[in-house]
Amino acid sequence: MNEDEEQALATHEQELRRGTVVFASLVACRHPQYGYSLLATLTEAGIATEANTLYPLLRRLEKQGLLTAEWNTEQARPRKYYTVTAGGAEVAAALHTQWLGLNSSITTLWKEGTP
Amino acid sequence: MSALTDIYVDTVIEHLPEKSRDDIAAEIRATIDDMVEARLGDGGPSTDSQTVAEREVLEQLGDPVLLSREYTNSPQHLIGPTSYPLFIWSLRWVLPAVAVLSVLTNVIVHIATTPQVQLGALLGQTIGSTVTALLTAFAVITILIGLGDRNMDTGATEKLPGARSEPWSVDDLHRRDVRGSQIRAEAILNLVFIVLLALIPLIPTSLVYVGHLNNGETFIDPDLGAGWLLGYWGFLALMAVLEAIKLVRSSASAALLITGAILDVTIAVFLTIALLTQQVLHPDLTSTSGAEVQQIITVIAIWVLVVWDQVSTRRTYRARL
Repeated sequence: MNEDEEQALATHEQELRRGTVVFASLVACRHPQYGYSLLATLTEAGIATEANTLYPLLRRLEKQGLLTAEWNTEQARPRKYYTVTAGGAEVAAALHTQWLGLNSSITTLWKEGTP
Repeated sequence: MSALTDIYVDTVIEHLPEKSRDDIAAEIRATIDDMVEARLGDGGPSTDSQTVAEREVLEQLGDPVLLSREYTNSPQHLIGPTSYPLFIWSLRWVLPAVAVLSVLTNVIVHIATTPQVQLGALLGQTIGSTVTALLTAFAVITILIGLGDRNMDTGATEKLPGARSEPWSVDDLHRRDVRGSQIRAEAILNLVFIVLLALIPLIPTSLVYVGHLNNGETFIDPDLGAGWLLGYWGFLALMAVLEAIKLVRSSASAALLITGAILDVTIAVFLTIALLTQQVLHPDLTSTSGAEVQQIITVIAIWVLVVWDQVSTRRTYRARL
């Protein structure tokens, strides 16, 4: 792979991950998560995410009503916990169906195209 | 947490809305603390390793200005994709209207206020003012739509001219017959132009404020033979028929375009002969010494127009193939 191809791959990977992070965050926030715990959860799950992308994204999902946020000041360090809302859960379920459909389609396409 | 983190957080929240600053600052600080702690592990950290970890975390978070932009999520462009159809629609309708209004206004004002109208001065003033008017209109449209782009929600854009109000369907292909619309619009414009050309021998000079030069008679020599005028109107009638066919069919076949080109050249030859063999313009509008030069300039202008028309028609036809 030459330099141009590597650059193109990086761009396409970034676009592919961008939508994935939203879906993955909604799924992961079925249990209350604070920012860093969510980052760690996604990384462990193999969905590498930049912190500077994730935090603004959580705020946007909160504004869209897909997540709720609440500060927990009972611990030694105050943390903001995000939890998926009922609407967010519906969106996540719809995205999951789409995801499975796409996965099946791309697998079939890949097999058909492989000599 | 060091002063470095304070500066970083302050830079992020500096341009954020007042009401969200404290919340975002607290979240970023908690994140930095968590990330530093994760790097240091459970072992008792030294001051040096704490400083190194903090620097690494801030490096990982990246440019605070970019992080701030991610939070604001405000557009980083002047005309965005939601406003772009409105922008193009405005330019397409407003700029031609401004150009026509500017030309008409300048011509009328110049002729009405200048005792001795000279073509050069008239053209200079009209072109200069029209270019200024077009640039001003362009700037105003761009600034207004650019500002509107920042306060626009999706619902609002759907109601704007130039934006799609319904999802696209194949039926739109029939409704939006762009090529047919262009041909019809061109045919209508050409018909208007032909009517104006046909009226030239009948228009009194007083209509354009130069009636004092020949007592309000026409621009054409009254002694010009009726045969020349009938020939002129006959050719224009043939041109009008061709344009009417284009208008009705909403298409322009190669045969129709070739016929139009031959007719254009024939009219140009007819006018050249007319202008070079006799006095065509009203004698009072031409100075005796420069009469021949004026006739030759008129002939050159006619052929320039004919050649330009042929070139533009050929280009348009090739583009539509």
